[in-house]
Amino acid sequence: MSAIIARRVFLKSSAAAGTGLVLTFHLPGRLASLPKRAGSPASKPFAPNAWLEIAPDGAVKIWCGKSEMGQGVRTALPMIVAEELSCDWQRVEVLQADLDSKYGEQLTGGSGSVRTSYENLRKAGAAAREMLISAAAEKFNVDRRECRAENGRVLHAKSKRELAFAELIGSAAALPAPSDPPLKPPADFRIVGRPTRRTDTKLKIIGAAQFGIDTRVPGMLIASVERSPVYGGTPRRFNADEVKSSPHVRAVFEVKSAHLTHQFGETSGPGSRNYTCSGVAVVADSTWAAMQARKLLKVEWNEPPSASETTASLREKMLRLTSEPGTVIRSDGDFEKAHAAAARKIEAVYEVPFLAHATMEPVNCTAHVRGDSCELWAPTQIPGAAAESVASALGIPRERVKVHVTFIGGGFGRRLIQDYAIEAALISRDAGAPVQVVWSREDDIRHDFYRPAACHVLQAGLDARGRLVSWRHRGSSPSIETFYNGTGISPQAAAQVDSLDFPAPFIPNFRLEFAVAESGMPLGYWRSVDSSGNQFALSSFFDEAAHAAGRDPVEFLLSTLGPARKMDLGQNRGTLDVARRRRVIELAAEKSGWGKSLPGGAARGIGIGFGWGSFVAQVAEVSCNPSKGTICVNRVVCAIDCGLAINPLGVEAQMQSSVNFGLAQALKSEITVAKGRVDQSNFHDYEVLRLCDAPPVIDVYIVPSSDPSGGCGEPGVPPIAPAVGNAIFAATGRRIRRLPIRAGDLRDG
Amino acid sequence: MAISFTLNGKPQTVDVSPDMPLLWVLRDTLNMTGTKFGCGMALCGACTVHINGEATRSCVTQISSVAGKKITTIEGLSVDGSHPVQQAWMEEDVPQCGYCQSGQIMSAVALLAKKANPTDADIDDAMSGNICRCGTYQRIRKAIHKAAALQSGKAKSAA
Repeated sequence: MSAIIARRVFLKSSAAAGTGLVLTFHLPGRLASLPKRAGSPASKPFAPNAWLEIAPDGAVKIWCGKSEMGQGVRTALPMIVAEELSCDWQRVEVLQADLDSKYGEQLTGGSGSVRTSYENLRKAGAAAREMLISAAAEKFNVDRRECRAENGRVLHAKSKRELAFAELIGSAAALPAPSDPPLKPPADFRIVGRPTRRTDTKLKIIGAAQFGIDTRVPGMLIASVERSPVYGGTPRRFNADEVKSSPHVRAVFEVKSAHLTHQFGETSGPGSRNYTCSGVAVVADSTWAAMQARKLLKVEWNEPPSASETTASLREKMLRLTSEPGTVIRSDGDFEKAHAAAARKIEAVYEVPFLAHATMEPVNCTAHVRGDSCELWAPTQIPGAAAESVASALGIPRERVKVHVTFIGGGFGRRLIQDYAIEAALISRDAGAPVQVVWSREDDIRHDFYRPAACHVLQAGLDARGRLVSWRHRGSSPSIETFYNGTGISPQAAAQVDSLDFPAPFIPNFRLEFAVAESGMPLGYWRSVDSSGNQFALSSFFDEAAHAAGRDPVEFLLSTLGPARKMDLGQNRGTLDVARRRRVIELAAEKSGWGKSLPGGAARGIGIGFGWGSFVAQVAEVSCNPSKGTICVNRVVCAIDCGLAINPLGVEAQMQSSVNFGLAQALKSEITVAKGRVDQSNFHDYEVLRLCDAPPVIDVYIVPSSDPSGGCGEPGVPPIAPAVGNAIFAATGRRIRRLPIRAGDLRDG
Repeated sequence: MAISFTLNGKPQTVDVSPDMPLLWVLRDTLNMTGTKFGCGMALCGACTVHINGEATRSCVTQISSVAGKKITTIEGLSVDGSHPVQQAWMEEDVPQCGYCQSGQIMSAVALLAKKANPTDADIDDAMSGNICRCGTYQRIRKAIHKAAALQSGKAKSAA
């Protein structure tokens, strides 16, 4: 054993009889534990840890511990392992990890997969590489420091000898695993940082990718569920016998509401409303039979008090709440005094509606309950919560719930809520068979956990030189946090605004207030969560302030940010990097040709968004025809600083995705409520972006960086709606203060 | 009721209710899950297949109406992804979640069969019935132009 290896701490290694060795890593939240393996002949794969395996023929398997829902984790995360392993990327096969504590936290959300996995995955790859190098050094009979690994081989340059990983795995498996292996300097990266095509494309273009809805289990029945039209209602009476006599129908029964385990591990307090929607299940031999028979159902419902809620009543409530002081979330200087003294004042009300996720793969889950155990095949962003929720609903130990994670046909936060896993498990138990619950599109639009509607009243004051001296933001919306955690949480915790959102730290007299508006609607996390609406208000109102000051919006952003610096936030809240914020604004402005005129009355607008460890600025070029009420987004330039971009091709895809997703919010989508019921039902009345609406060009510029990687799934969503609204103002003089943008917003009357 | 048709070049007979949509015959009766359920109302295009060469929404196509016709699904395009449209999709790294992509590809193949070199306007017309919630639209556009070039032999596949 070489000195380098010997100096390192060995966590746990076993070279006893068996097939491999044991290596454990500390993973966020829990300790990975692995079955014991020991010294292997080369006829067995080398499996030094949970994440990778090298077969005797040199093929490499890498497991992905996060859920693939389009964001590219089955490419980016294995790239990190492969980089440190120094294997041949072309020989890597990526497999999906089922729920297992050896993979650590498997929640896929908050744009956090790369951020939370990077170090551990590097160590996993590096530990295996070091073992292979040690095995080669022994065979070469040289100092291991003279050897290096590259492209699936260990090389000894001095003697010009080399051995393929496949020739080393037998002896490597007998070596102790380093717990703290050296990591490559980024300058040596061969895989990370290179634009890399996705590993799952082939499956997806030949129709072979297995999504949740494609699960087929022997003896499986299909369930279609009629849910209470008002969240929280229960069936009082229904015609079970009549429906049961339909062809191919096996059973018709009530599915009771069950508690939803909070997805982030907290316990629900009093006043929380997180439960599954109760309903009546129709269980049949096929999807079509279940759906057809369900049409015959006649259900009388017990309705909760929220059955009186309407979009107008909630709007009225939010407007009233924002007309009076709310809970203070942030206060700097003296807003009242500075605002009273301001040379120029502006005020505006911004509004956004409820939104559904509308993932292309309708909500579904397959469950097989057998005695005190349950097996799930779930398109889930959070298999741990699926297991916990199902265990609690069935009254069985969590360890008795096995979760297979399938490909996910779009997540966007919808599949953080495990109501559908509970439903599948309860129906499987009562039907006594494996059951796949398939939601129709109507079920999906009407029984989502919605992005809350919100109202923002903004005021700003400018001094005589056109500088922002006062800013007050009063926000109100139903609170996702109280929905899940109860009304006992602090008003600060319940708030759906962020005390650090620009321009918070840059205005001397600043006040941010929030008031929770009670609503009966079920709430959830929608890609970029409250930023999706808040940033529309903030970036749009900032643009209003620029115009009120008679200044160019980009110049006004940069001068409000001030010089590039690390800004101390005070009170031990760390620093804020102004340089990174400035750079994306400058880059987007430069690449979009900001300031240069556009033909045909087109105009540009800018929107920004900083969060999830990344910085984004987007410039939209928009043409409007006010008389026809048409808006055409001709081009979007997106600049992102996401620190080290693991896969630049994937970052580009996520930015394009985010722009299109955000444009749906800007131009198309709205959920309205009448008598506690959602009005919309399918893509004809809940519209999303189509190809003909999409900008022909979305140019993405990634700031080269070696800073720690930031998230990419969400930060590109918030800036586009205000960028479009600001461009419409530049083109027409009409200010957009409500989403989605309507034809009438472009003209008077 | 027994209904016969040609499925991906082979004769196929099914015995199902005549009003059952082709989508569910494919997915549930024949266990061919490449064709996807998205809306059930011909609004999203996830279920697109070819019937006698025409891109058709299988979710609203009653099985009785396809008797004697030729049906092609994503599984029938190629088993190895070698169709020029699939190749272009690979090269442009189009799919994200991938759920809508069977339908997108089937619509694109039908478009290219009619117009070997479609314009952006042709692409808008042919593809706007296929929703992609991940927003792969810009890459779909590029891939269709690339597939057109591949089919006419102007470009070599690099995938």
